[in-house]
Amino acid sequence: GLLLMALLVSHMFLAKEGVTSLPICPNGSVNCQVSLGELFDRAVKLSHYIHFLSSEIFNEFDERYAQGRGFITKAVNGCHTSSLTTPEDKEQAQQIHHEDLLNLVVGVLRSWNDPLVHLASEVQRIKEAPDTILWKAVEIEEQNKRLLEGMEKIVGRVHPGDIGNDIYSPWTGLPSLQLADEDSRLFAFYNLLHCLRRDSHKIDNYLKLLKCRLIHDSNC
Amino acid sequence: GQQFPGKPKITRCRSLEKDTFSCWWKPGPDGGLPTNYTLFYSKDSEETVYECPDYRTSGPNSCYFDKKHTNHRTTYNITVMATNEFGSNSSDPQYVDVTCIVQPDSPVDLSLETTTSAGVTDLWAKWSPPPLAHNSSNWRLHHYELRFKPEEEEKWETVSVGVQTQYKVMNLNAGLKYGVQVRCMLDCGEWSEWSPERQIQIPSGQLPPEKPTIIKCRSPEKETFTCWWKPGSDGGHPTNYTLLYSKEGEEQIYECPDYTTAGPNSCYFDKKHTSFWTIYNITVKATNKMGSNSSDPHYVDVTYIVQPDPPVNVTLELKKPINRKPYLVLTWFPPPLADVRSGWLTLEYELRLKPEEGEEWETIFVGQQTQYKMFSLNPGKKYIVQIHCKPDHHGSWSEWSSEKYIQIPSDYRVKDMIVWIIVGVLSSLICLIMSWTMVLKGYRMIAFILPPVPGPKIKGIDTHLLETGKSEELLSALGCHGFPPTSDCEELLIEYLEVEDSEDQQLRQSHPSKNTRLASKETDSDSGRGSCDSPSLLPEKCRESRTLPSKLPSQDVREVHENNAGSGWETQCVASSEDRALPFNIAGTKSSTWPAANVHPSTFAYHSTVDAPKVTLSTTNVNVAPVLVGNEEKHQSRYSTSETLCEENLEKQQAVEKMHSKNDQSTIQVNQNRLSEKSSFLNAKLMDYVEVHKIRQDEDAAVLLKHKENSGKIEKYTIPGTSKEYTKVSTVVDHNILVLMPDSRGQHTPVSQEPAKEMSQNLQQGQVEKNLSYCLPAPGECQREAGGSEYMDPSSFMPSFK
Repeated sequence: GLLLMALLVSHMFLAKEGVTSLPICPNGSVNCQVSLGELFDRAVKLSHYIHFLSSEIFNEFDERYAQGRGFITKAVNGCHTSSLTTPEDKEQAQQIHHEDLLNLVVGVLRSWNDPLVHLASEVQRIKEAPDTILWKAVEIEEQNKRLLEGMEKIVGRVHPGDIGNDIYSPWTGLPSLQLADEDSRLFAFYNLLHCLRRDSHKIDNYLKLLKCRLIHDSNC
Repeated sequence: GQQFPGKPKITRCRSLEKDTFSCWWKPGPDGGLPTNYTLFYSKDSEETVYECPDYRTSGPNSCYFDKKHTNHRTTYNITVMATNEFGSNSSDPQYVDVTCIVQPDSPVDLSLETTTSAGVTDLWAKWSPPPLAHNSSNWRLHHYELRFKPEEEEKWETVSVGVQTQYKVMNLNAGLKYGVQVRCMLDCGEWSEWSPERQIQIPSGQLPPEKPTIIKCRSPEKETFTCWWKPGSDGGHPTNYTLLYSKEGEEQIYECPDYTTAGPNSCYFDKKHTSFWTIYNITVKATNKMGSNSSDPHYVDVTYIVQPDPPVNVTLELKKPINRKPYLVLTWFPPPLADVRSGWLTLEYELRLKPEEGEEWETIFVGQQTQYKMFSLNPGKKYIVQIHCKPDHHGSWSEWSSEKYIQIPSDYRVKDMIVWIIVGVLSSLICLIMSWTMVLKGYRMIAFILPPVPGPKIKGIDTHLLETGKSEELLSALGCHGFPPTSDCEELLIEYLEVEDSEDQQLRQSHPSKNTRLASKETDSDSGRGSCDSPSLLPEKCRESRTLPSKLPSQDVREVHENNAGSGWETQCVASSEDRALPFNIAGTKSSTWPAANVHPSTFAYHSTVDAPKVTLSTTNVNVAPVLVGNEEKHQSRYSTSETLCEENLEKQQAVEKMHSKNDQSTIQVNQNRLSEKSSFLNAKLMDYVEVHKIRQDEDAAVLLKHKENSGKIEKYTIPGTSKEYTKVSTVVDHNILVLMPDSRGQHTPVSQEPAKEMSQNLQQGQVEKNLSYCLPAPGECQREAGGSEYMDPSSFMPSFK
C-alpha cells in the first residue's frame, strides 16, 4: 500500500507534461495572448463540428419527414444567405482576399444567429420530433455563437480596427416555420436545414482554407 | 314374281391414285334372279361407248379405270346397267369430270416477303399453281387456301385466298418467326396437300428508344466532376444521347460540355463548368428515328460527391531505437490531384493490414495525418498493408492503394537465447538431483520436508481409556468428580470473589503489588479457577459445594433478618451485593468453560424490593456481560461490589445506606468507568484483596470507614496508626459480610471481627468452611487449606442464595 502511494506521488511529480492542458489566458490579462494559430485551430474544430451536426440533423429530418414529398425538387428555392456573394469554387476562394473572406464568414455566421434561435424553439413544435433532432438544434445554436465570438476575435487580431462589417442577410422565414399546413411547414424546415447544411459547409471550407493560407503558408 | 332388275345407282367415283379412278354403284333390287352389272361410259360428247375395263380391282360393284383409261379434262358419262333374264335396267347417267375427282398437286414456289412502311410491317406470300401434265388445265381455276402460324405455336390460322396466287398477311407480331403454307383446289374436287412450309422472320418493331438512366456522378478532387448514364434499348435504330443540365436558381439549360473525356455514355464537367454549393439538375435524352425519350432528373451538389483517388507513395521504414523494440513507420502522400495543401480539400485516411496468410483485415482509422507507427507486429511475419482516403465531410472512400508488403525482421537476441538455455539446463539439473535424492533417501527426505504431526499427549489421560469411553474413570484420573458439572456446581464456577466497594480506587492504588502478583497468578491457566475442572481445588470444592449450600442460605437469611430491623439497609445491602455482579475472574483460556459467566447476579442476591438498585444491577449486568463472555484478555476480573460490610449500627446503616447509594452509583460509575477503560491493569487491581485495617472495637469497618471519612481521599488508605495489612477475602456471607482469609504471612486480627460477630454466629451455626471455622476465633491457628495456593477460591464456599 505504501509502495503504491509512493509510486503514485512520484509519478505525479515526474510525469507532469502530459497531464495539464495549455494555460489559458485569464480574462483581462493584457500581455497574455493566445496565438492566432490556436484561435484558428479552435475555430476550425468548431466549424467542423457545427457542419457535422448540421449534416446529421438534415439527414434525420429528411429520413423522417421528407420521404416521398419531393422536397428536393422545390429546394432550389434558395437560402436567405444567397444574397451574399460567396466563392463558388476553388479559384474564387483562392482569389478572394483573406480579410474579405473573414468578413464574409463573420457575416454568414451573424446571419444565422437569428434563424438558429428560432429553429431550436420551433423544431420542438413538430409533432413527435425525436430527441436527437431537438438537442442537435440547440447544440448548433450554441456552438454557432461560440464560433462567432471566436471569429470576431480572429478578425480583431488579423485586421484590427476594421469596423463596420455590414455583411448581413436578414432572415424572414419565421412565419413559414409556423404555418398551419403541415406540408408547407415541413418543407420550410427542410429548406432551412438544407441551407444550414450548405452554409455550415461553406464556412468550414473557408476557414480551413484560411487556416492553411495564413497559418501554414498554404502548405497544410 | 320375278321381274327385271331395279335401277342401280352410281354412288361415287373417286380418284385414289394419280391418273386413275374408280366408280362404285349400288345395285337396285335384283328381281329375284341373278343379275349382271355392266358399266358403260362415254367420253365427253363422243358417241363411242366403252365398257368398264376392270370390274375387279376396286372390289365388287366397282369399276376401275386405270391410267390408260383415265383422261384428264374429260367428262365421262357413266351408266351402269343391271341385266337379268327378264330384262335390264340402267342407272341414271353420272357425269364425271376426272379432274374434279383427282386431287390436284400443291401449289409451288411459295415465297414470303416482309415490307415495312410507316412503321408497319406487311408479309406478302406468293406462289404458283401446281403444274399439270396436261397444259390445258390452266383454264380451270384453282382456289387457294393459306395458313400461317408463329413458329412456337401449334394452331394454324387459315385464310381463304381465292383464285389469286398471292396474299398479304397482316397483324403479325414483330420479331417473331412465322411459317406459311398454301394449298389449292379446283372448283370441283378436293384440296391438294399443303405446300411445304416456308418460314419468315418478322423484324422488330420500329420504336423510339427507351429511357436512359443516370448511374452516378463523381468528383475526384473537388474541382471537376463526371456523370455516367446507362442507355435503354434503342428501338431498333441508332440512338443519340444528349445530357442537359440546369443550375440552381437559373432558368437556362445547358448541354454537356464534354462527352468524350470520360468515355462512352459520360459527361465531364471541367473546372469552369463546376460550381459548388449549387444543385445541378441533370437529365439525359435519347433520340432515334422513331422519337426520343428523357431520363428522370438527377439532382446533384458537387460538394457531396467527392471520391478521391487512392493515396500514393506508400513507404515503410523500420526504426530501431536503442533499448526499445523496433517499430515500423508507414508514410504516404495524398493523391496528386487532391489539393490538400491549400486546405481546399481535407482528407482522412484509413489503413488496413493483415498477415500474409491471414483471412481478415484489421482496419485502423488514422485521421488526417499521413504517417503511422506500428509497434505491435510480430517479428518474422510478412504483412500486407493498404491505405485509402476520403474527404473529411461527405463523399466516399477511395479505392485501396496497391498492396504493400512488409517483412518484419525476426529478432533473435543472442542474450535472450543464452538465458533461456541456461535456465533450461539448470532446471533440468535440479530435477535430476531431486529425483536422485528421492530415490536414495526415500522416506527420510519426505519426513524431513513434511514432518509428521504429533499426536496429543496429556498426562494422566490414558488414550485407551478415552477409547473405551468410560468417563468416570477418566475423569477420576483427572481428578474431577461429577463432570459435567451439575447445577450444584454453578456457584462453583465462580472463581473467586473480588471485592469491590467504594474504596475501589483506594484498593486499586493501595494494592498495586499484590494485585499484580495476583494478576500474574491469575494468568496461570492452571491456577485455581474454582471450577470443577481445576485439579487442585476440585475435590474440596466439589465436596464442599454439596455440603455447604444447603445449610447456609436459611441460616443466613435468618441471620439477616435477625440482624436487620427490616430497614432498608438490608435491602441496600442486598442491593449492594446485587451490585456485585459477576464475581468471577475470567482469565486465560477458561472463559469458555464458565457457562455460569452468564449467571446473573440475582443468583447471589436476595429478593430485593428495591427497584433502583435493580436497575443499577441490570445496567451493570448489561455492561458487564458482553465483556465477560468471550473476552479473555480484557477485564480480567469482574469484581463485585460488595458493600458487604454493612454495619449493624443504624448510624452505620444510614451511612452505609448513603454509601450504598453512593456506592451503587460509584460502583456503577466505577464499573462503567472501568469498562470504558482499556487497561486491565486496574481490573487486576480490583481483585480479591482488601486492605485490612485493624479495627478497633469502636471503629467501623476499615473499608467502610475510609469511604465515609473522605471519599476524596481516595489515595490515602492508611488509618493513622494502623499498619496496612492485606488479606484476601475468603467469602462474603449474607452479602454484607466479608469473610477474610487469614493471612499466613503476618499476624492478623481478623478484621472482620465486628462484622464477624455475625459471621461467627453464622458460622457457628454451621460450618461454612474449614478455614473459617478455625480461622475466626483463633486467627493464629488458621491453617490454610492444603491447596498449595495461598487462597481459597471463595466461590467454593459461596452459598447459594437463591
